[in-house]
Amino acid sequence: MTQLIAEGFQSALLPCSLILLVPGLAVALTARAAFIPATASFAVGALALSWARFSDRGGGFHPIILAIAFALAAIILLVPLRARLDVLAVIAGLLTGAASAELWRPCVGAEFGQLLNELPSRGYSGLALMMVYLTCILAPLAGLAAIHHLIPEWMLDRAEPAWAVIGGVVLAVLAFSTAIGLHEDFVSRLYLWSGGV
Amino acid sequence: MQRSKYVAILVLAVVVVGLLAAQYSLNNPTEATEALTAGSQIDAPTDPNNETASPGSEVEPASSEVAIPVPPQLGAAPPLTGIDGWLQTDATSLDSFSGQVTIVQFWTYSCPNCKATIPHLQDIYARHRPQGLEIVGVHAPEFDYERNPDNVAAAAAELRVTWPIALDTNKTSFGAWQKDRRFWPRTYVLDQNGDIRFDHIGEGNYDELAATVDYLIENGP
Repeated sequence: MTQLIAEGFQSALLPCSLILLVPGLAVALTARAAFIPATASFAVGALALSWARFSDRGGGFHPIILAIAFALAAIILLVPLRARLDVLAVIAGLLTGAASAELWRPCVGAEFGQLLNELPSRGYSGLALMMVYLTCILAPLAGLAAIHHLIPEWMLDRAEPAWAVIGGVVLAVLAFSTAIGLHEDFVSRLYLWSGGV
Repeated sequence: MQRSKYVAILVLAVVVVGLLAAQYSLNNPTEATEALTAGSQIDAPTDPNNETASPGSEVEPASSEVAIPVPPQLGAAPPLTGIDGWLQTDATSLDSFSGQVTIVQFWTYSCPNCKATIPHLQDIYARHRPQGLEIVGVHAPEFDYERNPDNVAAAAAELRVTWPIALDTNKTSFGAWQKDRRFWPRTYVLDQNGDIRFDHIGEGNYDELAATVDYLIENGP
């Protein structure tokens, strides 16, 4: 278990995991005040679909459906329905998490590899271990959610509209690049711009 | 201060400590891996076509203590399709290695988990290359910068990958072999008839990998 946690944290730092972290951050930023519900539901969506895919229980969605999920998340979060933002953030988080998990092609260490090899024949204990691993990969999002919670409200009120636009643009670009099969190129560009290589 | 703020600080501290520890461990591979890497730098053949080089003869088989039953039959290996070039070989298809025990590994050069398997493959290659083992590294890039064949060749030289590399730039074979469960790295062993006898996702299971190769080389398919 300790090794699995260590591998999860290591994976969080690898470019293979950017396809999870970038949409997760984008949906959380777009959700503004509902940053935490959006992050949590993103994690749940990502866990559900990655477990279904890797255990041969589901998945295999067409890229157009994934693109629609990203676009829908951006649209429902950017419409002016602030009173229902929590609910919308949960829906957007679930959609984005599931779509990102469908696109995720993990780099696999020894412990996670062992889990993946056994996952199709393993019951819900496999889901629990996947949850542990994915929680560690998504730890940077949890850290950002904690920072968001610590920022004074008057500062958030000023910053959140801009964050929402940035997050919405990222979701829109993800939607478009997924539809035309170039989402890896987009993430690759982000990685290069971040000084990764 | 609100209780939830304390929780947020705690979460933040756990995340920061976890990520710092992960960064440290990524920068400092385990001693075991380093020792194996060091060994491989001595043992790995520099010229895979040099039949006189048999460094493996002095190496104790790593799998000697692993009792493995007959490796399971996992079906015929699909052909490698959509390959747009080969490095470090004159081969043009997987058929070029028919009749040989062949390890096929899907990898990409900037994936740390793929890199971690290389010393183990070097070890097996050094021991069994003289008996006809071949390794085919199917390079399936995830990112744009990994698609450049020159970058792949440079990385192979740096990582001391001496076996043939098939360039699966559009990940056609990566998808055809792995269907909906696609990972880096994924390692297969093909017997002399081209049937899959070992399939492993990720790092690890090196003893079973070596034992499968040992079995197939000693006993045939």
